[in-house]
This record gives sequence, C-alpha cells and structure tokens, in this order.
Amino acid sequence: MRMEAAKIRPGDVIAKTLIWVFLILVCIYCLIPFAWMLSTSLKTEAEAFRMPPTWIPLKLTVDSYIGIWVRKNFGIYFFNSTVISLATAALSTFFGALAGYGFSRFFFKGRRFLIGFFLATQMLPGVLLVGPYFKILSKVGLYDTRTGLIIAFLTICLPFSTWMMKGFIDKVPDELDQSAMVDGCSRLGIFFKIVLPIVAPGMVATILFAFLLAWGDLLWALCLTSSEPMITVTLGIARTVGEFRIIWPMLMAGSLVGGMPAIILYVFLQRLLVQGLTAGAVKE
Amino acid sequence: MWIKDRHMWMVFVLPGVLLLVLVLGWPAITSILYSFESGRAGEAGYTLANYKGLFKDPFFKTTFWNTVVFVSFSVASHMILGLAVAMVLHSALPAKPLFRVIALLPWVVPDVVAGIIWKWMYDPIYGALNDLLITIGIVDNPIEWLSNPKLAMTSAILVNLWRGFPFVMLILLAGLQAIPRHLYEAAAIDGAPKLQQFIHITLPGLKKMIVVALALDIVWEVRRFGLIQAMTQGGPGVLTEVLSTYTYKQYFKFFRFEYASAISVVMTIVLLLVSLPYIWMISQEE
Repeated sequence: MRMEAAKIRPGDVIAKTLIWVFLILVCIYCLIPFAWMLSTSLKTEAEAFRMPPTWIPLKLTVDSYIGIWVRKNFGIYFFNSTVISLATAALSTFFGALAGYGFSRFFFKGRRFLIGFFLATQMLPGVLLVGPYFKILSKVGLYDTRTGLIIAFLTICLPFSTWMMKGFIDKVPDELDQSAMVDGCSRLGIFFKIVLPIVAPGMVATILFAFLLAWGDLLWALCLTSSEPMITVTLGIARTVGEFRIIWPMLMAGSLVGGMPAIILYVFLQRLLVQGLTAGAVKE
Repeated sequence: MWIKDRHMWMVFVLPGVLLLVLVLGWPAITSILYSFESGRAGEAGYTLANYKGLFKDPFFKTTFWNTVVFVSFSVASHMILGLAVAMVLHSALPAKPLFRVIALLPWVVPDVVAGIIWKWMYDPIYGALNDLLITIGIVDNPIEWLSNPKLAMTSAILVNLWRGFPFVMLILLAGLQAIPRHLYEAAAIDGAPKLQQFIHITLPGLKKMIVVALALDIVWEVRRFGLIQAMTQGGPGVLTEVLSTYTYKQYFKFFRFEYASAISVVMTIVLLLVSLPYIWMISQEE
C-alpha cells in the first residue's frame, strides 16, 4: 500500500476519474426509473400528460396514494399478498429447515440423488405446472382461492428454502450435535433447541426471501386467481395496465407501494441473501 | 429412541421430499402426459401430434428464436456489466454500501413493477427517456421504443439488462471478496500489470461463481414472464413474445392445454440441459 501512495502517476488519476464516471453513470441508469416513478406518482393526472414532461411536479399531490386505497381495491390486494406470502414463507422455511438439516447431517444412500432432485426442481419453468394446477385446483374447488395460490407457491419456494437452510446449517459444527447426543438429547431436540436458534438469522433471511419470491410473482396469480377479492398486488397492478385508460400517477403510486416491501427487505437483507444464494458454491 | 440415529434422516428429509413430489412432481408428470394427448373429445390414447405441431407452428419458431436472442443478450450483458460494477465496488471506494444498495434496487422490485415503470419511461410522447435524450441532444425526434418493430426487442433487452445485472454483480462481488488478497500483493511485487492480474488471478478465482451466476441467470431469463407481460404482452405482433408468454397464451387465451404443455416440456428440457453442469458441479461436492 505504501508503495502505491508514494508515486501518483497521471495514469492513475485518469483511471480513477474514469471509474467514478462509470460508477455515476451506473447509478443514474439504476435510479432514473425510480425517480420517474416517484415524480409521476406525485403529479395530477393532467400533469402526467404534459409536454414536455416535468421532473419536479408543478403541483404536488398525494391524491394517487389515497386513490389506490379508496378508489381501487389496493387494501384487498395488499391483504391477499401479505397473507399468501407469509403462509408460503412459513411453510416452505419449516419444511426446508427440516430437509436442510437432514441433508447437512446425514450421509445416507440416495442423498446425492435427492440433492440433485431439489436442485433440478429449481430449474423447472412455472408454465410447465400452471396447466395441471388450473385443472386440479378447479376440480377440488381451490381455484381462485388464497389456499390454492399458497400450495402453488410452495413449488417455487420449497427448493430454494431447503437449499438456503442447508447452507446456513452447514456452518454450524456437527460436534455440537454429537456432544448434545452424548448428553442424551434426541435428534429432534437438537434440531429445535440447539441448531435452529443458532441459525435464526439465516432462517429469517430464508423466510423473507421466500416471502419476496411469492410477493413478486405474476404468472401464478394470473393463472390461478381471477376475482377481485382474491387477487394479489402484482396482479392488481398488471390488470390496471390492461384497462382502457391508464391513470399513470395512480399506477405509479401503486407500483411504488407494491414494490416497497421488497425494497425495504432486500436492502436490509443483502448480505444474508448472498450467503444463502451462493451456499454450496463457496465453501470456506 | 425407537429409530436408529442413522435412519433419522427420513424424519427430516422425507416430509420435504414428499411435499415436493406432491405439489411439484405430480403436476409436472401430469403436464408431460397432457402433452401427449390430442385434446379432442372422445379421442383416447397418446399421440405425438402436439410435438409435430410445434415444428409446423411458425409462431413457435419465432418465439423460440426470440427467447434465444432475449436470453443470450440479456445474460451476456448482465455478466459484463455485473462484473464491471462488482470490480469497481470491490476496489477501495468511499460510501461502498450506499452504491451497493443503489445498484441492487432494479433487481429487488417485482417483475411487474419493473415492466410498468419502463413502459412509462419508454412512452414515446410523455415518457422520460425521450425527453432526456432530446434535452441532452442525442436524438432529435421521439423514438418509439416499444412500438417500432425494429427496436422492440432491443428495448426489452435494455430493460432486462437494468433488471438483471445486480444479481450477477452480487454473486461476483461475493466471489471477489473470497479471493485472497495476498495473491494480488505477490503479483504486484513481481511487477505483474493489472490486466495480467485480472486474467491470472481474478478470472480463475471467480470461475465457480461465474458458473453459478451463469446457470441461475440463464434459467431465470428463460422463465422471465412478468416483465414482458406487463410491458409489451409479447407485442408488437409477436416481436417480443418469448416462450413463457407464448405458453401462457396457449393455455389461457386459446385453451390449448395439450399444446401448451408440449411447449413447456420443450422449455423444461432446454432448462435442465443448460443447468446440468451446475447441478452436477454442486451435487458432486456434496
């Protein structure tokens, strides 16, 4: 480090400047759409259709943010998305943690095959499953229900949760389990009382990640729900685009509010998320 | 304990496995069976008609190639921009966490939201993008980003670049942080130039993460649905139609379930083939 500080060459200055220019351009690219969304959401409908467009609204208004709850059924959509995503996250993390522990601690016959199976199921396209789901759920009376959607979201979330939880549990030394067993603790006791408390942060990350996977989906909601009392935030937003006259300020307000949970959670979670996503790919 | 400890794996693993077989395995097999049915009432037995139909369907061909173009350009651009930003963020820099959060934002909003923001950004008359470009002086006349047939796919890919590069950046940044510093210090003492260091230390050190990022990104881009559905719904015509939106239309617009299943089976096979090296790599290490 000292050597570098000793001689500052003009080449370094140019390189540094270029890096900063690049970084600022990337930031602009990332942020401008959000700025535009925020700006539009605070405009009146007339100003949204103004030529040339304004970036700072001439007349600031929060009407759109009130309108999505009062004139549109955003309250219902939000409730549905929350309930569905929470239930999916809880179920998939619970079963994922169990399976993750099993894969982490036991070296049984067929283990590798089952791990391969879990990995492969992450790769399946949703469109392979929506057809049978539509027919099966219709038959058993679960089409256009929250329960139906929760079952469907397990197909996306369970493999991910298992894989993430296994990654976190791998980091807990097996000696802990062994010594607890010597003390007469049962396997299930070890899992619930020793391992789960240690991986609690990882479990929170897994729950939130599953939550966000479910929250962000459109395909399944589009295929498996239809009536206004059952649809989710994403589907509610997508439907507005199909309407004859799009009220952009309201749509942007809705998008911002609908995207907010994801933005907040990810920003807090990013470190744990990377750990979970790359678990297995990087071994310390 | 009434179960021997070495059999206890069943208690932990089997609930998850059985659940997955029930909610995913069974419908997947049902879908494969659909794809061999004719779909006409009163016709029993299995047939290859749907798969033969794929080869005769010009829209399938277009959609297939659209997907290839969409995915390859998206993934390639994600890797380049993702690596570049990861390297910049990895170097000594003030306010690093802030930049990382900013660069992560496009990836975290739901697909639908991303699609809708850009639909509005791209609006030829009232949109922000044309206004910006005209103000800066890069273009004179408003560009019809999504309705000009020559531009539609490029515009869609540009949105997807925005949306997808942060994921690659995150993964590669984690990879960069795992490369031991002393390798670079040793190389610097030996007088190896930066480019040499990049080729001989950085790239080999990132190999595994690149495989992970590539595999996951390809799979996600092939499956990408909400973005296109919200932004163009495959239009104009079928110019931005990809396999996932096309299959959706076959299911729920034309109600050709058997045909749609055949398309999705083809998609599945492609996805499994693409991700096989990744699955192999990971499960071998286990």
